[in-house]
Amino acid sequence: MNPAVGYAGLIGVFVVTAAIGFYGLRISRTTEDFYVASRTVRPWWNASAIGGEYLSAASFLGVAGLILISGADALWFPIGYTAGYLMLLLFVAAPLRRSGAYTVPDFTEGRLESVAARRVTSLLVVLVGWFYIVPQLQGAALTIRIATGLPSWVGSVAVAVVVCVTVLMGGMRAITFVQAFQFWLKLTAIAVPIVFVLIVMANNGLAIPAVAEPFASNPVGSPPSGTYRNISLVIALLFGTLGLPHVLVRFYTNPDGTSARRTTLIVLALLSVFYIFPTLYGVVGRAFAPDLAAAGTADALVLLLPGRLIPGLAGDMLTALVIAGAFAAFLSTTSGLVVSVAGVISQDVLGGRVRGFRIAAVFSSIAPLGVALMTDSMQLAGSVGLVFAFTASTLCPLLLLGIWWRGLTDAGAIAGMLAGGALCGGSIVLGRVLGSGTGLLGELLAQPAAWTVPTAFAVMIGVSLATKSRRPGGITKIMTRLHTPERRSAAATR
Amino acid sequence: MSPDATPGPNPPRRVRVTAPRSQARRASPGYPVAREIAEESEVGQVFVRSLIRSQLRLAVVVAVGFLLILLAFPLLLAWVPGMDRATFLGVPFGWLLLGVGVYPLIGLSAWLYVRTASRNEARYLDLVEDE
Repeated sequence: MNPAVGYAGLIGVFVVTAAIGFYGLRISRTTEDFYVASRTVRPWWNASAIGGEYLSAASFLGVAGLILISGADALWFPIGYTAGYLMLLLFVAAPLRRSGAYTVPDFTEGRLESVAARRVTSLLVVLVGWFYIVPQLQGAALTIRIATGLPSWVGSVAVAVVVCVTVLMGGMRAITFVQAFQFWLKLTAIAVPIVFVLIVMANNGLAIPAVAEPFASNPVGSPPSGTYRNISLVIALLFGTLGLPHVLVRFYTNPDGTSARRTTLIVLALLSVFYIFPTLYGVVGRAFAPDLAAAGTADALVLLLPGRLIPGLAGDMLTALVIAGAFAAFLSTTSGLVVSVAGVISQDVLGGRVRGFRIAAVFSSIAPLGVALMTDSMQLAGSVGLVFAFTASTLCPLLLLGIWWRGLTDAGAIAGMLAGGALCGGSIVLGRVLGSGTGLLGELLAQPAAWTVPTAFAVMIGVSLATKSRRPGGITKIMTRLHTPERRSAAATR
Repeated sequence: MSPDATPGPNPPRRVRVTAPRSQARRASPGYPVAREIAEESEVGQVFVRSLIRSQLRLAVVVAVGFLLILLAFPLLLAWVPGMDRATFLGVPFGWLLLGVGVYPLIGLSAWLYVRTASRNEARYLDLVEDE
């Protein structure tokens, strides 16, 4: 690929992001603006911002790459990523907004009236955040290598540094604008090139039936993933989404519970539209770029496909656009995660000053960078899937039982989170150590959510029942606050 | 930070943000005291519990319905003879169902849920604000 094209895409996305951040910074001046971009952020803006933060390297590059490798089985990934928001809407969105909690640890402390439970939750949020940042940085490494020919580590370091600087400069204020913009950038960057590709294919007489054979083809002879794996994956994605720290923070910027629901509804629509396109890349890629799967760079499919099928300047411009979109994905997801992780660290460890937040932000960018540089990248969608499994086994039971069951106690919550975290984390590590084993044990370790999530729930419920005396005293008031709507006049004047 | 909040002739002065917000705002502004008292009464708690129950039932019904239909998709492909080879405009049916067909289903479930949940809340407000 022509490096100039890569640089053009990169510089474009950095400049535009900085410009919008600066514009947003200028029009938001008060403390109110800083914390509660809330009361004036309309559902459409907020939904775009959530989409911008959520669509990560795994969605932008990983899904198409996985479809290229494993075909129809990979379609469960985008389904899970989207349906996770349905679960979030059904069980979490409005009550979490009404709880008034800004982060998951805040929610835990408010609901369970326990500092110990808060500490455990904070630890898990930090772990989840860091392990979610790692694949973003690995995606950046891959993109830099392919787009500019520079060594891989440059990409990881560049994203970590840019995010760190943005967060340090106090970019929180502008973040809703930036994230919302980046959603639409990502959608444009992934949609426009594939539409051109399809038009070119149609002009060359490659009608749809002519490419029907890629649906059945199997470029690397990967075996079908089996029923257990698919079910376990869907469980991880469905229940993992509702514990993701950077997603939950965004719900606080809704004015009330009702608009939290409306926002989620719009997010679902935006994601549904978005995921059509990675699927198209995957399908066209199976026909025209099967060699990428064999070469082990399937995740680069989205970056390389437009240039392969459209020659000349047009192809170069489309490639620059996809590269810009990919970097928007790394930057927005990483900065959302760094901000939420740094917020938790600074509150719980560093005493909550702005200085503490800055130290925590640097630390939160560097720690995952170290991990990203030391480990080989797996397939992006796959490694993000494991983070979802971990969240589903720890934070998801806490939120679901905390919101809907009066009987949850702090002891139960801690025991359940530790059990789920140890089992899920342990089997992910063990699965990596043992390699991709076959047989029942290999399957159970490779995709653990199907058994770790129910176990975490069972432990949480069991221990809570055994420690009934520890139920918080103010539970009636808490449950009332979580579930009753804001008063009507407030809703009417919105 | 609304898009139309352009700085007027006297824009609010810029302030330094200092304290973190560990204790988040507990109540929405103007959460009426009268209502809070009403909700803590015995009758009020009956209303609250019944609201929570109906919201949970609604969420579970929608979730289970959605998951059953989702589960039916692969079963349909596996069990209906010829289904795995059927195509529409050259695209196999399985790809269409999973790649496109699931999304309207998700949207429909979400929309139905939001409509009914809002209705439950409106009914609750009618009860409580009449107290």
